[in-house]
Amino acid sequence: MNNFRYFPNSKKDIAKLYRFLGIKDKKELFKKILGDIPLISGGDLSGILSDGIDENALLRLFSDIDSAVPSKNKTAVFSGGGIYNHFVPSVIDSLLSRSEFYTPYTPYQPEVSQGTLFALFEFQSFIAEILSMDVVNASMYDGAESLAEAVLTALRLSSANSGMPANHKDDTVLVSEGINPSYFSVIKTFTGGTGVKIEKIKLNAETGRTEISDLKQKLSDENGRVPAVVIQQPNYYGVIEDLESLEKIIHSGCDSNSKLNSDHSSKSSLEHNSSEHTPTFIVSSAEPYSFGIINPPGFYNADIFAGEGNSFGNYMNFGGPLLGLFAAKKEYVRQMPGRIVGKTKDGNNKDAYAFILSTREQHIRRGAATSNICTNSSLNAVRAAIYLSLCSKSGFKDIALLNLKLAHILRDKLLETGLFEPLYGGDFFNEFSLKFKTNVNKHNNKTAAPDFIEKMAARDIIAGIALSDNAVLISATENISLSDIEKYVKNAKEVLNG
Amino acid sequence: MAKFPGIKGIFLDENPLTEQSSKGVSGIGIPDCGLKKSDLRKDGSAYIDSKYIRKNPPALPEVSEPAVVRHFTRLSSWNMCVDTVFYPLGSCTMKYNPKINEKIASLENIKNLHPLTPANLIQPVLKIVDEFNNILCGLTGLAEFSFAPQAGAAGEFAGLKVIKKYFELKGENRKTILVPDSSHGTNPASSVLAGFTPAEIKTGKAGTLDAEELKKFISKDVAGIMITNPNTFGVFEKDIKKIAEIMHKNGSFVYMDGANFNAFLGNVKVSDMGIDLIQLNLHKTFSTPHGGGGPGSGALGVVESLREFLPVPYVKKTAGSNIADINAGKKTSSVDKNSDKKFRGANFVYELSDDRKNSIGKMTPFLCNFAVLIRAYAYLLSLGRDNIGSVSEIAVLNANYVKKKLGKILPGSDPFEEGTCMHECVFSDKSIEESGISTVELAKLLIDYGFHPPTVYFPKNIHGAIMIEPTETESVRTLDNFIKAVRQIKFKTKKSKAVKSPQKTKVGRVNEVLANKQPIFKY
Repeated sequence: MNNFRYFPNSKKDIAKLYRFLGIKDKKELFKKILGDIPLISGGDLSGILSDGIDENALLRLFSDIDSAVPSKNKTAVFSGGGIYNHFVPSVIDSLLSRSEFYTPYTPYQPEVSQGTLFALFEFQSFIAEILSMDVVNASMYDGAESLAEAVLTALRLSSANSGMPANHKDDTVLVSEGINPSYFSVIKTFTGGTGVKIEKIKLNAETGRTEISDLKQKLSDENGRVPAVVIQQPNYYGVIEDLESLEKIIHSGCDSNSKLNSDHSSKSSLEHNSSEHTPTFIVSSAEPYSFGIINPPGFYNADIFAGEGNSFGNYMNFGGPLLGLFAAKKEYVRQMPGRIVGKTKDGNNKDAYAFILSTREQHIRRGAATSNICTNSSLNAVRAAIYLSLCSKSGFKDIALLNLKLAHILRDKLLETGLFEPLYGGDFFNEFSLKFKTNVNKHNNKTAAPDFIEKMAARDIIAGIALSDNAVLISATENISLSDIEKYVKNAKEVLNG
Repeated sequence: MAKFPGIKGIFLDENPLTEQSSKGVSGIGIPDCGLKKSDLRKDGSAYIDSKYIRKNPPALPEVSEPAVVRHFTRLSSWNMCVDTVFYPLGSCTMKYNPKINEKIASLENIKNLHPLTPANLIQPVLKIVDEFNNILCGLTGLAEFSFAPQAGAAGEFAGLKVIKKYFELKGENRKTILVPDSSHGTNPASSVLAGFTPAEIKTGKAGTLDAEELKKFISKDVAGIMITNPNTFGVFEKDIKKIAEIMHKNGSFVYMDGANFNAFLGNVKVSDMGIDLIQLNLHKTFSTPHGGGGPGSGALGVVESLREFLPVPYVKKTAGSNIADINAGKKTSSVDKNSDKKFRGANFVYELSDDRKNSIGKMTPFLCNFAVLIRAYAYLLSLGRDNIGSVSEIAVLNANYVKKKLGKILPGSDPFEEGTCMHECVFSDKSIEESGISTVELAKLLIDYGFHPPTVYFPKNIHGAIMIEPTETESVRTLDNFIKAVRQIKFKTKKSKAVKSPQKTKVGRVNEVLANKQPIFKY
């Protein structure tokens, strides 16, 4: 019998290895190492794993699965909610099929990893340009985890500022209700160990923008410190936030806090410290393609940006792997999580690239590291670097503009049907929220949104995400066309009137 | 005379793309999406308040498609990778990444699938997750896996959160996680992130943990231990069952860092060692490519009593008549084990569920790194029951071959000289130092011979550590070649050459001090 195809050692080689080691067989080998721990016998795996199959059979199996899910060519995808249906040029798949990119490990040996390091350096440069931020790291897992790490970074910054130990029981991080609910949940998971409270800032019921008065109120209500305020741009409901007004209040957060403290002069020294700390302004985004059209976080003096970069050259892949983006002002670089590529020289004074400031990281600092992250989303970042290289300055803007237009055309046409009304009135980029008019609800006599989505799906339209029983989140990208939009509108009418 | 791969290739220089820009050049075609000319002409302020509109679009390079292709193709040639060289990076399991799995992950409809597509349209995809879970449970003896953790460190974090939540629910406030001093840096870092205090335990000569030493650390404050097995010396923790017993008696958990699971795959169930939780790095043991730093997947497996704490969402399998009933929340009968075996798929309905009251919460916006998972699943189907046991067997044989043969060339350098290692072996720099060569020089010299260096200076408690993991996808011939290179380096290399190596790479020894002193993060 031949060897299994991934094993280069022949049966004879293996016998030779056993002889060389003076061990009889597999049983003896493991017995020698494991003592009395039993070995799995073939029978143990019956029922869960069949015998191995050849490549052709394997491909057939997965091709069958592929043809049993919605067809890419027949289906128009209008769902967003944190991951967007953008077009991926074939250059990216072609370049990424190079083993030199996808089969190495993390570039711990810079001399033999210049390709990956240079590509990541370009990734950092392009993302910094798009966000107008100083420093971008070499990627995080995804937008949600990156945002959670941004909140942790802000907690560290607040401790460093006041010289307090890392106990945040008296601290509150304010998070806009406009944040993607999954991101909110991931923040909770990650900050659980710090004791910090996470509180939501309301949205304005009409515009869908973060309510400024509520932010003011909450900043002055907090007795402890507010290490960070988190705003998503555009927010989960698609609405463009007024970051200019928000930033002014957030970065003067110390004023409202100190006023409070002077009103209560008997406050303890612990709370007195709060007057010296300005909340870190964290901007998140699940769709940084918007920054081709709207002002980027750096324009509004964001301290940290943490979001999702999957829109740049990556497929949706049923939700992962994604591409976490993390950026900050220069002065916070030593508190940043993750790897950073820097430009340096080699012994012959030639340009070279290497990971820098790694004393922040777990493999050096262990328990005192800024994060436990090690493996990240490097390959997705390389995809993004290639994608953005292709885009060019004007192309990036043009595609962003196309997204803006298609989404607006779709929304206007849906409103014209008289079946929907806007959930919020604020400006939006490529995603918006609609609710069903009351007559639709009555007519259906049950949960309109999930029912609508399911019926549309049967007509090859992935119509959006149910925000509630009565509201839908819909996006449109350059990957759909006017005829898809017309198909959406026609079918929506049939489904809802029928 | 051995023929080494060496490096004789062509290295083409390449400027940053921003330096290749010409105004008005682009590498992407802009579709019109069928829009009317009048709509195409409009600018942003026709749709949104002009106060939001960006005046200066990001200055991305202006280059053509062929320029981009040449640029990144040249860049790629500056990398060493598994497909071009022997890559014995210890603790990283740099095995062959099967090409068919790349093809499967790139199937058109699957890769374009939105994660919130209605469940009735994606049953076969959800079924993959469920079946993959079943196989991993069978291979480890654990009760359930969560695929939410995106990498090994995220798996550790999730596992520790699970432990934390368990004690919270019990009303106990245990704060300590025990961590051997030979552990990966992620272990203490993850402990801190999860709100624990790591306490380091000193390990023996081969990095192994002694049950008696452990007892000194036991108290009611101890929530668990994170133990890497085989440890970072490639040595099996002989006391593991005793350790588990001590921990369990104290009401504490045993978390196993599964980064080294390639030593056990298909032959040993971790449940037989008393392990309660493990993360499996799909990008190591399960052959998915490491991608030059990611993405990966750190699937977290737990015993029955901890299932309720696993992250959400998860794939819920229900025996029911149809998906509409599930959607409507109608009650369905529980899954019958026998009917499960008899029939694969027909009347089972899969859905994403958040229904887990005591869950630690979400780790990631959607379900999991599905494109990684599907590769790992395909890998296991390719191997099958009949070949899976050979993975760890050959990996262990190869490592012991290197250990024994190199041990003769590097006398006095093997901290575990008499023993049998598992999937990797470690040497100190004692013997090469005598030849005037440091560990970093050995690493860089190996590059010029055409090998990727081993992991170096880890674990920290071996002086100038050199950690070699050959994996099962390398031949004895390749191992011999590598061993010969080490021998030549030790016996024939002049110091003057060693300090200047590597010399045949795109760039010479990189100045990491300068990189840190005056950091440049972008163009």
